[in-house]
Amino acid sequence: MNAVKSAWFALVVVLLVVLHYSLRPVLAWRAPIDFLVIALLLVAVRARPGVAALAGFMLGIMADSLTPGAFGAGALAMTAVGFGASWLKAAFFADNIALNGIFVLLGKWAFDIIFLVAERRVLGTDLLVQAVLWSPLSAAATAIMGLVVLLAVRPVLGAPRS
Amino acid sequence: MRGNAAASIRGTIVAPLAGLQKRSELSRRAFLAHDEAVRVADSVTLRSQRLDGVTQENERLRRLLGLGAAVKWGFVPAEALQGRGLGDEFTVTLTAGRRAGVEPLSPVVAPEGLVGMVERVDDGLSLAITWPHPDFRVSAMALDGSAFGIVTAHLAPGAARYFLELRSVPLRSTLKPGALVVSSGLGGVYPRGIPIGSVVAELKSTEGWARSYLVRPAVRLPDIASVLILRPERVRAGVENVWQLGSATDSATKGVVAAGDSVRAARPDTARRLP
Repeated sequence: MNAVKSAWFALVVVLLVVLHYSLRPVLAWRAPIDFLVIALLLVAVRARPGVAALAGFMLGIMADSLTPGAFGAGALAMTAVGFGASWLKAAFFADNIALNGIFVLLGKWAFDIIFLVAERRVLGTDLLVQAVLWSPLSAAATAIMGLVVLLAVRPVLGAPRS
Repeated sequence: MRGNAAASIRGTIVAPLAGLQKRSELSRRAFLAHDEAVRVADSVTLRSQRLDGVTQENERLRRLLGLGAAVKWGFVPAEALQGRGLGDEFTVTLTAGRRAGVEPLSPVVAPEGLVGMVERVDDGLSLAITWPHPDFRVSAMALDGSAFGIVTAHLAPGAARYFLELRSVPLRSTLKPGALVVSSGLGGVYPRGIPIGSVVAELKSTEGWARSYLVRPAVRLPDIASVLILRPERVRAGVENVWQLGSATDSATKGVVAAGDSVRAARPDTARRLP
C-alpha cells in the first residue's frame, strides 16, 4: 500500500469512527450500525493478525472508555474479532459481495457475543434475546453498511490482499 | 484503576468523540422535538387567532344588537356573504330576500354606517352593491349641514380605490379634514343621518364650480359579517336618531354599543346564551 492509499485508508477509518459517534446517535436504532466494527474489519483484511488485534484493542478500549461499567469487554471483543478476521481474510475476502457481507455480519455478531459474555451485565433470558435477536439484527444492519463502505472504498483502496 | 484508565482515555483521545456524540444526540432530540414544538406553536397560534376572531365577532354582534335596538323597527337582519372572488369585490350577498321583506334599493347599514344598497332580490337571498362599487351614489352632507354633495366611489388606482369621494360641494362650502359626512336624505333612497365617512382632504376638482373631497369610509368592508337592511317604510320615517352622532364617529359607535349593552342587561337570559 503506497502513501496515498495509506492516507486514504486512514481517512476512511477516521471517518467511520466519526460516524460511529455522530450518525449512530442520530439514528438511534434499536439494532444500531456498528461503524467501529466496520473500521476494524477494514483494517483486519489489510493487516497481519497481530496488527489487526492491536487495532481492535485500541478501538475497543476507546469505546470502553465511554462505558466504564464494561471497561475491557469491548477491547477484548474487538481484539478477538480483529485477530480472527485477519486470520480468516483469505477465506472470506474474495471478490464476492455476499461473502463479504457474511464476513461483516459474523464479525459483528461475534463481537456482540464476546462483549455480552465478558461484560456479565446481561444474563439469562435477556442475554439470549440480545444474542439471538438484537445482535443479529444489528449485525445485519452493520453488514449492509459495511458492504456499502467496501464498495465505496474499493476504487480508491483496491481489493484487499489475500 | 480501571476507572482511572477509562477516565484518562475519555479525557484525551475520546474527548472529541464524546463531544461529537453528545452533540449528535442533542441534534436528534431537537429533531424529534421540532415537530412537536411546531405542532404546539401552531395550535397556540390558531387558538389565539380564533379567540381574537371570536372577540371581534362578539363585539360586532353587540354593536349590531345595539343598532337593531336603536332602529327598533322596519329592518331585516342579514348575514353578509363576501365572495372575495373576481367580480365579487364590490358586491355582497345577503342572507335575506323577498320572503323576509327585502326590496330593491333598500339601504344596507352596519353599526359603523352605510354599507351599500340592495340591487337584486331573490326569494331567500339578495345582492347588494357596496360603497366601492362604481354605481354607488348617495346624496350626502356634512354633519352640521354646512355642505351638500354626492358621495361616489373614488375611482383611483391602487389602495386609494377604497376611499370615497364627496363631489359637487359648492365652492362657498369648505370642509375640514375629519369632518363627518352623513347621508342627506335627498333622493329618497337613503334616509338622512347614516354615517358615510369622514373627510380626509380636498381633491383637485375638474369641476370649476364645485369642490371635491376625499372621504375615508366609516365601514370597513372586510369586517362586515352581519348587517341590517332598512325597509322602505323605515326609510321614509328616517333614522336620524339612530346614530347618535356627535362630533366624531366614535361617539356614534359608543352610543350604538351602549344601546347593545342596555339591551343585554335588560335580558339577562339572552346574555347568558351569548358565547
